[in-house]
Amino acid sequence: METTFLAIAVLFGLGLYIILTHQNLIKIAMGIGVMESAIILLFIIFSYRPGGTAPILDADAQAYDLIVDPIPQALSLTAIVIGAATTALMLALIIKIYNRYNTLYIDEIKKLKG
Amino acid sequence: MDTPVLLIALPLLTAFSLGIIKIFSKKMVKVVTVISATVHLALIMSVVREAMQRPIVYHLGDWDNLLGISLVIDSFSAMMALLIGVLAYAVIIYSLVYVDFHELKYYVLSFLLIAGVMGMSLTGDLFNLYVFFEIVSITSYALVAIKEEKASFEGAFKYLVMGMLSGAFVLLAIILTYQVTGALNFAQVAANFGDAPMLVRQTIFVFFLIGFGTKFCLVPLHAWLPDVYCGAPASFNALSSGLVIKASLYAFIRIVYLLFGMTTGISQVMIYWGVLTFLVAHILAYQQESLKRLLGYSSIAQIGYIMLAIGLGTESGIIAGSYHLFNDGLMKATLFLGVGIFSYTVGASKIDDLKGLGFSMPKVSFAVVIATLAIIGLPPFNGFISKWLILQAAWETEYIVAAFFVPIGSLLSLGYYLKVIKALYSRAEGELEVKPIDWKLRVPTYVLSAACLVMGIIPNLSLALITNIPKFLLDSSNYINLLLGR
Repeated sequence: METTFLAIAVLFGLGLYIILTHQNLIKIAMGIGVMESAIILLFIIFSYRPGGTAPILDADAQAYDLIVDPIPQALSLTAIVIGAATTALMLALIIKIYNRYNTLYIDEIKKLKG
Repeated sequence: MDTPVLLIALPLLTAFSLGIIKIFSKKMVKVVTVISATVHLALIMSVVREAMQRPIVYHLGDWDNLLGISLVIDSFSAMMALLIGVLAYAVIIYSLVYVDFHELKYYVLSFLLIAGVMGMSLTGDLFNLYVFFEIVSITSYALVAIKEEKASFEGAFKYLVMGMLSGAFVLLAIILTYQVTGALNFAQVAANFGDAPMLVRQTIFVFFLIGFGTKFCLVPLHAWLPDVYCGAPASFNALSSGLVIKASLYAFIRIVYLLFGMTTGISQVMIYWGVLTFLVAHILAYQQESLKRLLGYSSIAQIGYIMLAIGLGTESGIIAGSYHLFNDGLMKATLFLGVGIFSYTVGASKIDDLKGLGFSMPKVSFAVVIATLAIIGLPPFNGFISKWLILQAAWETEYIVAAFFVPIGSLLSLGYYLKVIKALYSRAEGELEVKPIDWKLRVPTYVLSAACLVMGIIPNLSLALITNIPKFLLDSSNYINLLLGR
């Protein structure tokens, strides 16, 4: 369990590091994607119960001792949709910026701006 | 009665039907926009009047209040709803003339933005809050870029990166809260949150502070705002400064009071950070040449005052803070709409470009000057009353240092706003040819600036709505019982 949390923390930190240090707009978009994935993984880890089954009632109505928590899974779906929308918008903006400046690097854009 | 949900559903419905309407008739788009905005304002008025008598709780889809999502309209939400209604209506009327680029897209995005802001202020569910928060953010990014100038794309990209970071932190805080309380409903979260370990609670507070703080521009996180405002259309600036920032601040205040209560530690963080925010913002605003940047920094400064007042954690502090929140919405919208008129008619974007406009456009300039004086905090305008209340509240709770800096901040803002007034009323070299201004641009500006004066002379009008706010904020059990229907 601890190693999973560590992996998530590393992913989150990696995403943040890419956003803060890289010059390329596409790489910034990728960094944001990595960070979002880390959060969604956290959702899944929180809902996970070792040995739990899916929270679906079937006709036999057998009693479940242990089910995984369905709410974070539902929430992570919403979060993925929001993330997809924002990423699409961001890539569209990057295309527009590229058409204006013919470069993807923040430094050169600043230089062109004067 | 299903009116509360219509406050969110109507703008959503309008946004999505506008595209279909355009296929049939292009002229109908503006007609439908105006009709929908008018109906929306009327609905808000009726809901607010009802909520003033008794707070409203509405269960979406008639689900049980622990399973489903509830809308809660107490005094604080009602005040936000009223502010949203008035500003959104004024801005929609203004946009009919001002927006001559991508009209359909502009209206679709604006209505989505209004629905999102409304949802943020009414919802009683933590995750629902996040969804509306992201709706507001995504529509804002698109609205910033809508003019398709170089500055707007850069501003939009900067805004987007900062917004994604803030969204990530808010989401993290929400999932941690869910993990320790096992619920997302505000009432259950608030009731169970006290059992969580101290360390987890502090982490959650910091995440909420970073997440929402980026959106409402706490000082080290504010850098995106001036760049964004430069490239955006003035009508969006009015919506953003008046509603988007305020809604994020509202959500933060609501969460802090419900989850943590105003303990001494949190109180001190908010007070001194508020003071720092408005001092830094005032000093930065002083160096600006561009009008929109200046107003942007001034927006940040007002957030500082509200943080300070709300952070006091007393009844008078909350009343002062929420009153200033309401007033600042009115004043900033007036200023941005006025500046929008200047840039629309004569292309003025810098303070120096304003020279002589006070004589060629006397009425609009007068409206702008009224809002300027109000935001500095001079009597008899509304800004004076709310700043005075903040000063008094800080003095009562013996935060003398904070109280001392409130008039200092006003002095600093006098410094840079006087530059604007002076430029307006100094003679220009050549004769300025000014074409007549359409009434759709003028009337919203006049109405909002008149509201600044009326609120200053008769503060009881809005104070009646505000006096009940501390009841639901200070004692969270009131809010919990309201939401659970006890």
